[in-house]
Amino acid sequence: MLGFLLARQAGLDDPLRLQRAESTRRVLGLELNKDRDVERIHGSGVNTLDIEPVEARYMLSGGSDGVIVLYDLENSSRQPYYTCKAVCSVGRNHPDVHKYSVETVQWYPHDTGMFTSSSFDKTLKVWDTNTLQTADIFNFEETVYSHHMSPVATKHCLVAVGTRGPKVQLCDLKSGSCSHILQGHRQEILAVSWSPRCEYVLATASADSRVKLWDVRRASGCLITLDQHNGKKSQAVESANTAHNGKVNGLCFTSDGLHLLTVGTDNRMRLWNSSNGENTLVNYGKVNNDSRKGLKFTVSCGCSSEFVFVPYGSTIAVYTIYSGEQITMLKGHYKSVDCCVFHSNFQELYSGSRDCNILAWVPSLYEPVPDDDEPTTKSQINPAFQDAWSSSDEEG
Amino acid sequence: MSRKRQRLVPDAFGLKRRRERGQTEADPLRGESGKRGRPRARRGAAGGGRTAPPALLPAAVTRSLRPGSARAAVAELVQLFPRGLFEDALPPIALRSQVYSLVPDRTVADRQLKELQEQGEIRVIQLGFDLDAHGIIFTEDYRTRVLKACDGRPYAGAVQKFLALVLPACGDLSFQQDQMTQTFGFRDPEITQLVNAGVLTVRDAGSWWLAVPGAGRFIKYFVKGRQAVLGMVRKAKYRELLLSELLGRRAPAAVRLGLTYHVHDLIGAQLVDCVSTTSGTLLRLPET
Repeated sequence: MLGFLLARQAGLDDPLRLQRAESTRRVLGLELNKDRDVERIHGSGVNTLDIEPVEARYMLSGGSDGVIVLYDLENSSRQPYYTCKAVCSVGRNHPDVHKYSVETVQWYPHDTGMFTSSSFDKTLKVWDTNTLQTADIFNFEETVYSHHMSPVATKHCLVAVGTRGPKVQLCDLKSGSCSHILQGHRQEILAVSWSPRCEYVLATASADSRVKLWDVRRASGCLITLDQHNGKKSQAVESANTAHNGKVNGLCFTSDGLHLLTVGTDNRMRLWNSSNGENTLVNYGKVNNDSRKGLKFTVSCGCSSEFVFVPYGSTIAVYTIYSGEQITMLKGHYKSVDCCVFHSNFQELYSGSRDCNILAWVPSLYEPVPDDDEPTTKSQINPAFQDAWSSSDEEG
Repeated sequence: MSRKRQRLVPDAFGLKRRRERGQTEADPLRGESGKRGRPRARRGAAGGGRTAPPALLPAAVTRSLRPGSARAAVAELVQLFPRGLFEDALPPIALRSQVYSLVPDRTVADRQLKELQEQGEIRVIQLGFDLDAHGIIFTEDYRTRVLKACDGRPYAGAVQKFLALVLPACGDLSFQQDQMTQTFGFRDPEITQLVNAGVLTVRDAGSWWLAVPGAGRFIKYFVKGRQAVLGMVRKAKYRELLLSELLGRRAPAAVRLGLTYHVHDLIGAQLVDCVSTTSGTLLRLPET
């Protein structure tokens, strides 16, 4: 570490190198810490978490009872022991609360004044954060599994919505219409994700084992359908053009948008090249996936070798993305984990599970410093100056 | 958990020193069995404190062929195959999951197996019971056994034509109708003869898997044996068993291919978790 600092100071090393090395070291040291807690508000399983991209200070969580809670993650007290408090929440007695389980929440990508939430009650609601009122409601014919808004879009305000029907709907926040439909899948859409690299590219994953990449400007169908065998027909008659041998549950682009990770109910995770749709054939081994709806997993950002955090039963499995090696399993939840998000500024991981808890995984690199001061001051006295007499009555 | 992390923290700063550690950790069976008859110095300082139970593996491979590569792993695994059980009519078959148990990095193992497949050294066969279970056979072994099996039979001519034309040209697991008729010039009666010979198995209308004649018995013993070994771990107290104890037990009657053969497969297919303890490797059933 000192070598890195010295090299950076002398200009021998790129400043980014120290940052990436230290981020990687912190991510490798993630574990549960008794000093960090998230206040428990949810009365049923936590389905989704999202940290706002602007300051990474506020976190939204959506639960199976329709409740949405907003947490403040910043530690403004001086003590190391800190509970992330809930700032406000949309509880069961709110007039506009979702009727059934909230599946996805997402902050508006450009500021924290707005957030969107979609739920099994067939609606997508757009909320104003300060007044906690709904600004707009989009109704659909089928239950909504997932929605996503592009984090880099400047020319459009489209929210992609995946429902139980085979059509992907794009809702426009500016005009309030949702007339744009992407057709191509044959069963329910379990996950959607916009590319962080190009604002018009959308990836959708469906229960018919297919993952499609779309350019929303194009009038004709999808750009690419991902094929796990890379076009070799010899292995692929039954599973031609499928990304997995079962339903595809989760999608995540890497932070630079060049690769796409997908998980499926065939207990596999695959890494794809997002520009040509090629399966990179990185083998992660068995990634247990029992979830019947979408699985929300996340990737790290800013480390020298990026990591992916996947909910694996009641633990979270951490893999390096490009080599497929399993680093560790984070154990701490009592029931199955549904979602996790990575706080890229502090290299922390927050995960929500069916046991109604949100756990914070914090890098632990040093032994905790003892709190009381007396031992240290005593040891600082030079023994030559210490008094030789004792105050006890035994010695004369 | 902490052991893995210590290994990787230096990675962020300096040279990767993963090789020595990775070989001893990810290769429990080699660690247990390679002790007998080999001087300890061979392992160097990274050997660690492993106990030395009586080994059941046959004469071991020398250090230069340590399974750091997929080819060495396959060579070692085909030695585990019980030839006598099938009267030498079957070529020795290793499984892809067994190779994963010997080569610690799966992506590297996949890549090396693919290279060997492209060079024509091994054939990968689809074993019917699982989409993921691939059998790996050396091409030479396959060729000799198939020729021996079809000796003197009416379909010998078609089989020889197949071995001479198709095997060197196409390294895939399966063949399509148009590929067989147009590229290689097989007629329909000849293809039927190949299916009768056992060299091709029908997959779909117009496509066939490559197969090994007589492999049905092997697959039956394999599936039964796998269930039996898993059952041994399942019936143990707390559903976990030390590897040395498992290998030391008498194999139940259903296990015809050998305990080590099945244990390699279970570890590589992640049907049991491998936990390293102070008394050796522990096999534990996953909770889910």
